[in-house]
Amino acid sequence: MAVTIRRLEEFDEVEGFDCGDEPLNNYLKRHAWTNQQKVSIGVTYVAVDESAPRTVLGYFTLATSSVPRERFPKKFVRGLPTYDLPLILLARLAVDKRFSGRGLGHALLSDALKITLRVADEVGCRCIITDAYPDKAGWYARYGFLPIEGGAAAGPQKMFLDVRTIRRALSSESSSAERK
Amino acid sequence: MPPAIKDKSKKAAPLPVKAPTARKTKFQADLAPSEDSMVRILKTELQMTSNTDFLSDALALFRWAVSERKRGHRIVSESSTGERKILLFPRLERVAPEVTLPHVDIRWTEKELESLAELASGQPAEPTDALIRAMRQ
Repeated sequence: MAVTIRRLEEFDEVEGFDCGDEPLNNYLKRHAWTNQQKVSIGVTYVAVDESAPRTVLGYFTLATSSVPRERFPKKFVRGLPTYDLPLILLARLAVDKRFSGRGLGHALLSDALKITLRVADEVGCRCIITDAYPDKAGWYARYGFLPIEGGAAAGPQKMFLDVRTIRRALSSESSSAERK
Repeated sequence: MPPAIKDKSKKAAPLPVKAPTARKTKFQADLAPSEDSMVRILKTELQMTSNTDFLSDALALFRWAVSERKRGHRIVSESSTGERKILLFPRLERVAPEVTLPHVDIRWTEKELESLAELASGQPAEPTDALIRAMRQ
Protein backbone atom coordinates (compact mmCIF):
# COMPACT_ATOMS: atom_id res chain seq x y z
CA MET A 1 0.00 0.00 0.00
CA ALA A 2 1.36 3.44 -0.91
CA VAL A 3 -0.58 5.87 1.22
CA THR A 4 -0.83 9.59 0.59
CA ILE A 5 -2.35 12.05 3.04
CA ARG A 6 -3.93 15.16 1.56
CA ARG A 7 -6.84 17.53 2.07
CA LEU A 8 -10.33 16.17 1.55
CA GLU A 9 -11.60 16.87 -1.96
CA GLU A 10 -15.19 17.18 -3.14
CA PHE A 11 -15.37 13.94 -5.11
CA ASP A 12 -13.59 11.69 -2.64
CA GLU A 13 -15.42 8.45 -1.96
CA VAL A 14 -16.51 8.55 1.64
CA GLU A 15 -19.76 6.59 1.57
CA GLY A 16 -18.06 3.23 2.11
CA PHE A 17 -15.99 4.48 5.04
CA ASP A 18 -16.54 2.54 8.25
CA CYS A 19 -14.36 2.98 11.31
CA GLY A 20 -16.87 1.23 13.56
CA ASP A 21 -18.01 4.46 15.19
CA GLU A 22 -21.17 6.03 13.78
CA PRO A 23 -20.53 9.67 14.79
CA LEU A 24 -17.06 9.53 13.18
CA ASN A 25 -18.44 7.85 10.02
CA ASN A 26 -21.27 10.32 9.88
CA TYR A 27 -18.98 13.32 10.28
CA LEU A 28 -16.90 12.28 7.27
CA LYS A 29 -19.91 11.44 5.11
CA ARG A 30 -22.20 14.33 5.98
CA HIS A 31 -20.25 17.20 7.44
CA ALA A 32 -16.51 17.14 6.67
CA TRP A 33 -16.73 18.68 3.20
CA THR A 34 -19.29 21.31 4.20
CA ASN A 35 -17.34 22.22 7.31
CA GLN A 36 -14.18 22.57 5.28
CA GLN A 37 -15.42 24.42 2.21
CA LYS A 38 -18.59 26.23 3.15
CA VAL A 39 -18.63 27.08 6.83
CA SER A 40 -14.89 26.81 7.44
CA ILE A 41 -14.93 25.26 10.89
CA GLY A 42 -12.50 22.41 10.30
CA VAL A 43 -10.11 21.12 7.66
CA THR A 44 -10.15 17.40 6.99
CA TYR A 45 -7.15 15.49 5.73
CA VAL A 46 -7.63 12.02 4.27
CA ALA A 47 -5.41 9.00 3.75
CA VAL A 48 -5.80 7.38 0.33
CA ASP A 49 -3.99 4.56 -1.40
CA GLU A 50 -2.35 5.43 -4.71
CA SER A 51 -4.11 2.48 -6.37
CA ALA A 52 -7.54 3.93 -5.47
CA PRO A 53 -6.82 7.60 -4.94
CA ARG A 54 -10.43 8.62 -4.22
CA THR A 55 -11.24 6.02 -1.58
CA VAL A 56 -10.79 7.36 1.93
CA LEU A 57 -9.04 4.93 4.28
CA GLY A 58 -8.71 7.24 7.24
CA TYR A 59 -9.00 10.89 8.14
CA PHE A 60 -8.39 13.58 10.69
CA THR A 61 -9.86 17.05 11.15
CA LEU A 62 -8.04 20.09 12.48
CA ALA A 63 -9.15 23.52 13.58
CA THR A 64 -7.58 26.30 15.59
CA SER A 65 -8.87 27.67 18.84
CA SER A 66 -7.72 29.86 21.67
CA VAL A 67 -8.40 30.36 25.33
CA PRO A 68 -8.78 33.98 26.43
CA ARG A 69 -6.24 34.76 29.12
CA GLU A 70 -8.89 36.10 31.48
CA ARG A 71 -10.58 32.73 31.54
CA PHE A 72 -7.61 31.08 33.25
CA PRO A 73 -7.69 30.93 37.05
CA LYS A 74 -5.57 33.81 38.40
CA LYS A 75 -3.12 31.62 40.26
CA PHE A 76 -2.01 30.01 36.99
CA VAL A 77 -1.75 32.95 34.61
CA ARG A 78 1.64 34.03 35.92
CA GLY A 79 3.44 31.30 33.99
CA LEU A 80 1.58 32.03 30.78
CA PRO A 81 2.24 34.62 28.10
CA THR A 82 0.22 37.82 28.44
CA TYR A 83 -1.98 36.90 25.51
CA ASP A 84 -4.73 34.46 24.73
CA LEU A 85 -3.45 30.91 24.45
CA PRO A 86 -3.56 29.79 20.79
CA LEU A 87 -3.97 26.08 20.20
CA ILE A 88 -4.84 23.51 17.57
CA LEU A 89 -7.73 21.15 18.00
CA LEU A 90 -7.38 17.64 16.62
CA ALA A 91 -11.12 17.29 16.38
CA ARG A 92 -11.35 13.83 14.87
CA LEU A 93 -9.10 10.99 13.81
CA ALA A 94 -10.41 7.70 12.44
CA VAL A 95 -9.27 4.74 10.36
CA ASP A 96 -11.52 2.46 8.33
CA LYS A 97 -11.64 -0.81 10.25
CA ARG A 98 -10.76 -2.80 7.12
CA PHE A 99 -7.38 -1.07 7.17
CA SER A 100 -6.74 -0.98 10.90
CA GLY A 101 -3.51 -2.44 12.23
CA ARG A 102 -1.45 -1.16 9.29
CA GLY A 103 -0.07 1.94 10.91
CA LEU A 104 -2.55 4.32 9.30
CA GLY A 105 -3.46 5.92 12.62
CA HIS A 106 0.23 6.55 13.27
CA ALA A 107 0.66 8.05 9.78
CA LEU A 108 -2.39 10.29 10.21
CA LEU A 109 -1.29 11.52 13.63
CA SER A 110 2.22 12.09 12.27
CA ASP A 111 0.81 14.36 9.55
CA ALA A 112 -1.47 16.15 12.02
CA LEU A 113 1.54 16.92 14.22
CA LYS A 114 3.60 18.12 11.27
CA ILE A 115 0.78 20.46 10.24
CA THR A 116 0.65 21.66 13.84
CA LEU A 117 4.32 22.59 13.65
CA ARG A 118 3.79 24.40 10.36
CA VAL A 119 0.90 26.37 11.81
CA ALA A 120 3.00 27.10 14.89
CA ASP A 121 5.77 28.38 12.62
CA GLU A 122 3.50 30.49 10.49
CA VAL A 123 0.88 31.89 12.85
CA GLY A 124 1.83 30.60 16.29
CA CYS A 125 0.21 28.01 18.52
CA ARG A 126 1.20 26.61 21.87
CA CYS A 127 -0.25 23.11 21.94
CA ILE A 128 -2.47 20.58 20.28
CA ILE A 129 -5.58 19.39 22.08
CA THR A 130 -7.70 16.37 21.35
CA ASP A 131 -10.91 14.90 22.71
CA ALA A 132 -10.03 11.22 23.03
CA TYR A 133 -12.51 8.46 23.59
CA PRO A 134 -11.64 6.92 26.98
CA ASP A 135 -10.56 3.65 25.36
CA LYS A 136 -8.22 5.58 23.00
CA ALA A 137 -6.61 7.81 25.64
CA GLY A 138 -3.82 5.25 26.12
CA TRP A 139 -3.01 5.37 22.41
CA TYR A 140 -2.62 9.16 22.50
CA ALA A 141 -0.62 8.91 25.73
CA ARG A 142 1.98 6.83 23.87
CA TYR A 143 2.67 9.94 21.76
CA GLY A 144 3.02 12.11 24.84
CA PHE A 145 -0.50 13.54 25.06
CA LEU A 146 -1.25 14.37 28.70
CA PRO A 147 -4.75 14.25 30.18
CA ILE A 148 -6.43 17.56 30.96
CA GLU A 149 -8.15 16.92 34.26
CA GLY A 150 -11.56 18.17 35.26
CA GLY A 151 -13.78 17.02 32.42
CA ALA A 152 -16.97 15.01 32.71
CA ALA A 153 -16.45 11.60 34.29
CA ALA A 154 -18.03 9.88 31.29
CA GLY A 155 -17.32 10.93 27.74
CA PRO A 156 -14.24 12.08 25.87
CA GLN A 157 -11.01 12.93 27.68
CA LYS A 158 -9.36 16.20 26.65
CA MET A 159 -5.63 15.65 26.11
CA PHE A 160 -2.74 18.07 25.65
CA LEU A 161 0.56 17.96 23.77
CA ASP A 162 2.96 20.90 23.94
CA VAL A 163 4.30 22.19 20.60
CA ARG A 164 7.73 22.48 22.24
CA THR A 165 7.66 18.73 22.88
CA ILE A 166 6.83 18.11 19.22
CA ARG A 167 9.75 20.33 18.21
CA ARG A 168 12.06 18.41 20.51
CA ALA A 169 10.91 15.20 18.87
CA LEU A 170 11.81 16.69 15.51
CA SER A 171 15.26 17.70 16.70
CA SER A 172 15.79 14.27 18.34
CA GLU A 173 14.91 12.86 14.99
CA SER A 174 17.53 14.96 13.19
CA SER A 175 20.20 14.36 15.80
CA SER A 176 19.59 10.61 15.67
CA ALA A 177 19.77 10.81 11.85
CA GLU A 178 23.11 12.62 12.19
CA ARG A 179 24.46 9.87 14.44
CA LYS A 180 23.65 7.21 11.81
CA MET B 1 -0.90 -0.06 -77.55
CA PRO B 2 -3.69 -1.03 -75.20
CA PRO B 3 -3.78 0.85 -72.02
CA ALA B 4 -2.26 -0.89 -69.09
CA ILE B 5 -4.96 -2.44 -66.96
CA LYS B 6 -4.28 -2.94 -63.36
CA ASP B 7 -5.09 -6.34 -62.02
CA LYS B 8 -7.46 -5.53 -59.17
CA SER B 9 -7.63 -9.08 -58.03
CA LYS B 10 -4.12 -8.84 -56.77
CA LYS B 11 -3.92 -7.18 -53.45
CA ALA B 12 -1.08 -4.86 -52.79
CA ALA B 13 1.36 -6.16 -50.25
CA PRO B 14 0.62 -4.61 -46.82
CA LEU B 15 3.03 -2.02 -45.66
CA PRO B 16 5.16 -3.11 -42.74
CA VAL B 17 3.55 -1.91 -39.52
CA LYS B 18 5.85 0.12 -37.39
CA ALA B 19 5.46 -0.08 -33.63
CA PRO B 20 4.31 3.32 -32.38
CA THR B 21 7.17 5.15 -30.79
CA ALA B 22 6.81 8.00 -28.34
CA ARG B 23 7.61 11.17 -30.18
CA LYS B 24 10.45 13.08 -28.64
CA THR B 25 9.95 16.73 -28.11
CA LYS B 26 12.69 19.16 -28.85
CA PHE B 27 13.32 21.72 -26.18
CA GLN B 28 15.01 24.94 -27.01
CA ALA B 29 15.71 27.69 -24.58
CA ASP B 30 17.20 31.14 -24.87
CA LEU B 31 19.65 31.42 -22.03
CA ALA B 32 21.38 34.51 -20.83
CA PRO B 33 25.19 34.19 -20.99
CA SER B 34 25.34 33.81 -17.21
CA GLU B 35 22.75 31.01 -17.29
CA ASP B 36 24.54 29.30 -20.15
CA SER B 37 27.73 29.44 -18.19
CA MET B 38 25.92 28.05 -15.15
CA VAL B 39 24.66 25.12 -17.20
CA ARG B 40 28.17 24.40 -18.43
CA ILE B 41 29.63 24.57 -14.93
CA LEU B 42 26.93 22.31 -13.54
CA LYS B 43 27.38 19.82 -16.34
CA THR B 44 31.08 19.70 -15.62
CA GLU B 45 30.53 19.32 -11.89
CA LEU B 46 27.98 16.58 -12.44
CA GLN B 47 30.12 14.95 -15.13
CA MET B 48 27.37 15.20 -17.69
CA THR B 49 28.01 15.52 -21.38
CA SER B 50 24.58 15.85 -22.90
CA ASN B 51 22.03 18.59 -22.52
CA THR B 52 19.31 15.95 -22.61
CA ASP B 53 20.68 14.22 -19.52
CA PHE B 54 21.06 17.56 -17.83
CA LEU B 55 17.48 18.58 -18.55
CA SER B 56 16.17 15.16 -17.60
CA ASP B 57 17.89 15.27 -14.18
CA ALA B 58 16.85 18.86 -13.58
CA LEU B 59 13.28 17.93 -14.43
CA ALA B 60 13.32 14.97 -12.02
CA LEU B 61 14.60 17.21 -9.24
CA PHE B 62 12.03 19.92 -9.96
CA ARG B 63 9.24 17.38 -10.13
CA TRP B 64 10.25 16.03 -6.72
CA ALA B 65 10.36 19.54 -5.26
CA VAL B 66 6.89 20.32 -6.62
CA SER B 67 5.43 17.09 -5.23
CA GLU B 68 6.97 17.69 -1.80
CA ARG B 69 5.68 21.26 -1.65
CA LYS B 70 2.26 20.13 -2.88
CA ARG B 71 2.10 17.88 0.16
CA GLY B 72 2.93 20.85 2.32
CA HIS B 73 6.45 19.59 3.05
CA ARG B 74 9.17 22.16 3.32
CA ILE B 75 12.50 21.64 1.59
CA VAL B 76 15.29 22.07 4.05
CA SER B 77 19.05 21.80 3.84
CA GLU B 78 20.90 20.97 7.02
CA SER B 79 24.58 21.57 7.61
CA SER B 80 26.78 19.18 9.54
CA THR B 81 26.42 21.51 12.54
CA GLY B 82 22.65 21.33 12.39
CA GLU B 83 22.09 24.75 10.86
CA ARG B 84 18.97 24.58 8.72
CA LYS B 85 18.01 26.60 5.69
CA ILE B 86 14.55 26.45 4.21
CA LEU B 87 14.14 26.73 0.47
CA LEU B 88 11.76 29.54 -0.42
CA PHE B 89 11.10 29.49 -4.12
CA PRO B 90 8.16 31.70 -5.10
CA ARG B 91 6.96 29.46 -7.93
CA LEU B 92 6.94 26.44 -5.63
CA GLU B 93 4.85 28.33 -3.09
CA ARG B 94 2.08 28.47 -5.69
CA VAL B 95 1.48 24.72 -5.29
CA ALA B 96 1.82 24.63 -1.50
CA PRO B 97 -1.45 24.00 0.31
CA GLU B 98 -2.70 26.66 2.65
CA VAL B 99 -2.19 25.79 6.27
CA THR B 100 -4.69 28.27 7.55
CA LEU B 101 -7.11 26.42 9.76
CA PRO B 102 -10.50 27.69 10.78
CA HIS B 103 -11.10 28.87 14.32
CA VAL B 104 -13.56 27.18 16.67
CA ASP B 105 -14.59 27.65 20.27
CA ILE B 106 -14.04 24.82 22.72
CA ARG B 107 -16.12 24.39 25.85
CA TRP B 108 -13.97 24.20 28.95
CA THR B 109 -14.88 23.53 32.55
CA GLU B 110 -13.14 25.64 35.19
CA LYS B 111 -11.16 22.60 36.31
CA GLU B 112 -10.07 21.83 32.76
CA LEU B 113 -8.82 25.40 32.39
CA GLU B 114 -6.82 25.02 35.60
CA SER B 115 -5.32 21.81 34.31
CA LEU B 116 -4.61 23.33 30.88
CA ALA B 117 -2.97 26.39 32.44
CA GLU B 118 -0.79 24.16 34.60
CA LEU B 119 0.29 22.08 31.59
CA ALA B 120 0.87 25.06 29.30
CA SER B 121 2.83 27.08 31.86
CA GLY B 122 5.10 24.19 32.85
CA GLN B 123 8.22 22.88 31.20
CA PRO B 124 7.51 20.84 28.07
CA ALA B 125 7.71 17.08 28.50
CA GLU B 126 10.38 15.03 26.81
CA PRO B 127 9.13 13.44 23.60
CA THR B 128 8.19 9.78 23.77
CA ASP B 129 9.67 7.20 21.40
CA ALA B 130 6.36 6.98 19.54
CA LEU B 131 6.35 10.75 19.03
CA ILE B 132 9.93 10.70 17.74
CA ARG B 133 8.97 7.91 15.32
CA ALA B 134 5.93 9.90 14.21
CA MET B 135 8.06 12.94 13.43
CA ARG B 136 10.57 10.77 11.59
CA GLN B 137 7.88 9.35 9.28
